[in-house]
Amino acid sequence: MISEEKLKILTESAKYDVSCSSSGSARKNAGGMGNGYVSGCCHSFTPDGRCVSLLKILLSNDCVFGCRYCPSRADSDVPRVTATPEEICELVIDFYKRNYIEGLFLSSAVHRSPNYAMEQLLVTVKKLRTEYNFHGYIHVKGIPHADAGLVHEAALYADRMSFNLELPSEQSLKLLAPQKSKESLLSPMRQLQRERLLFRAEKRREHFLPAGQTTQMIVGASPEPDGQILRLAQDLYRVNGLKRVYFSSYVPVVHDSLLPEKAAEELREHRLYQADWLLRFYGFSAEEIVEDDGNLSSDFDPKCAWALRNLHLFPVEVNRAPLEALLRVPGIGVRSAYKIVEARKFTRLTFEDLKKMRVVLKRARHFITAGGKFQGTENVSAVRGLLAADDRQGRAEQLSMFSDAARSALTGEL
Amino acid sequence: MIYFYDGTKEAFLTALLLAFPDEEAVLSSGNRQLTLGAETVFVRTDRERAARAEARLLALDKDCMHDLDLLLRSGMPDRDAVALAYFKLIAARGGPVRKMLAEDAVIAAQECMRRVSFEVHRFHGFVRFLESASGALYAPISPDNDICDLLVPHFRARLPQYPFVIHDVKRKKAAVYDGDHAFLAPLERAEIVLSASEDDWQKLWRKYYQSVNIPSRERLKQMRGYMPVRYWKFMPEKFSDGS
Repeated sequence: MISEEKLKILTESAKYDVSCSSSGSARKNAGGMGNGYVSGCCHSFTPDGRCVSLLKILLSNDCVFGCRYCPSRADSDVPRVTATPEEICELVIDFYKRNYIEGLFLSSAVHRSPNYAMEQLLVTVKKLRTEYNFHGYIHVKGIPHADAGLVHEAALYADRMSFNLELPSEQSLKLLAPQKSKESLLSPMRQLQRERLLFRAEKRREHFLPAGQTTQMIVGASPEPDGQILRLAQDLYRVNGLKRVYFSSYVPVVHDSLLPEKAAEELREHRLYQADWLLRFYGFSAEEIVEDDGNLSSDFDPKCAWALRNLHLFPVEVNRAPLEALLRVPGIGVRSAYKIVEARKFTRLTFEDLKKMRVVLKRARHFITAGGKFQGTENVSAVRGLLAADDRQGRAEQLSMFSDAARSALTGEL
Repeated sequence: MIYFYDGTKEAFLTALLLAFPDEEAVLSSGNRQLTLGAETVFVRTDRERAARAEARLLALDKDCMHDLDLLLRSGMPDRDAVALAYFKLIAARGGPVRKMLAEDAVIAAQECMRRVSFEVHRFHGFVRFLESASGALYAPISPDNDICDLLVPHFRARLPQYPFVIHDVKRKKAAVYDGDHAFLAPLERAEIVLSASEDDWQKLWRKYYQSVNIPSRERLKQMRGYMPVRYWKFMPEKFSDGS
């Protein structure tokens, strides 16, 4: 059994990784323990409001790289520990059996060398799958500069893999994570995407990353504007077929002359997630939602800001507007839009109906008509004022509406 | 007229036949206060009539018995009224109504069913098994809705080698999987001899839970929203160490 101290160190080094999602895999239990849960499943919530789904842990925090922002960087004076593959496997099995976790999210520092670290990750997940007969969810972090063969083999056992881009531009990467290069991160992503498509095309029976790939970048440690970050995310979705791009507000865990002293504003992360949602579920493009100055508005959520720039498209009539137009109305989410489209088949919807259906009208009323009636404010500057005030209030009540925990708790899906 | 019934599907269907023509009908399976002057009927289950009602309803909406099952599991005080209004509407419309999303009876029924299904989903995550000395797993729960048997297929699929008991301590019943078959049984109290390592794994789990938290980003309200305090009773990560 792993010691409490070791568990503590290896968990604390892993906890800033945002991804915790356990969705997207329908892996069956093949005669052992565990299976996939397509919609994902949260097992607990910590006092920071985040969901605990996977056992998120490092195999080792003993690193040869010197990424400036990382508490485990080679020259930092922290206790170094390395778990054995058996310790990790036992922990997964006994936690899973008690239903504490949905699976494993295994990562590692670059222990000894990229290939050694990747190999140890591979040995661990292979052991878990084949010797411990575990079929629950496994997310494996990819180590940059590791051999393509090791990456490929890990993908045969994992449900999801992620190579973290860390920073949104090559210059920042050079400055803050000098041993990582854009190519060392993007090239394995492309490799896995190619191999995954090939497995699918050949209808192979083995699993190959059924839950795909994700990545993560730190926001606020380097100077890139929101627009650059969102265009990068959009490319990753469109070109590399990624399932999720995570953003994490920079938290100064280590002091370094090249890094800001203060934590990045959480509002920025919040806005980026709102924009990311618009890219993935609302049919928006990055170009549409970024302001002229290359950033997202801080006063309004990005959909509101877009609508205010495009007032000539509004109001739309809820009884007639196509789904795509409803999805672009501020305050109307995916669920409300679908509800409206179903309900209007049976009746001509009024504002009363919308209220009963719990469509939130606070923002939407300025942008819709229901049965020809308009209940919003005609004066544009008054609308701006109301929307900005509403946004502030909404944030005060619930900042990270779009954080993973929030979404998974609301819909059970990530 | 107030129709009392025992909360079972058959009794509900019998009551539905009686209450259908009665526009003032009130349906109740709880200890409803008797309204002075109101007439009351205690509905006795008539299996034959219930079966006929079921067949007729299924002809109108082939999925409606699934809805009824969820509605009758609800712990909401008005669930009988909600179910009655929903099934009256199905009968009146002569077909499925679940997509009439602006209709009061449908909105109420959908909300009621959503809560039951959502609690099942939540408990897929929130159930905490204790390992007994024999290796069998035991999880006490106290859910809002009557769902313990609905949790079985999920855990049976992932832990087929482990017999388990999910004990609804509030309703004094348990869903049991004996390694072979699953069944429901009344269960008042369970005496469990824990395995030698159970305590150590719980300690490790608490250590993990504490370590993965980011204290500088405390959002207690959000945590409680996703994991309501009433569910904490059986979650070891919410016990303080040494207890």
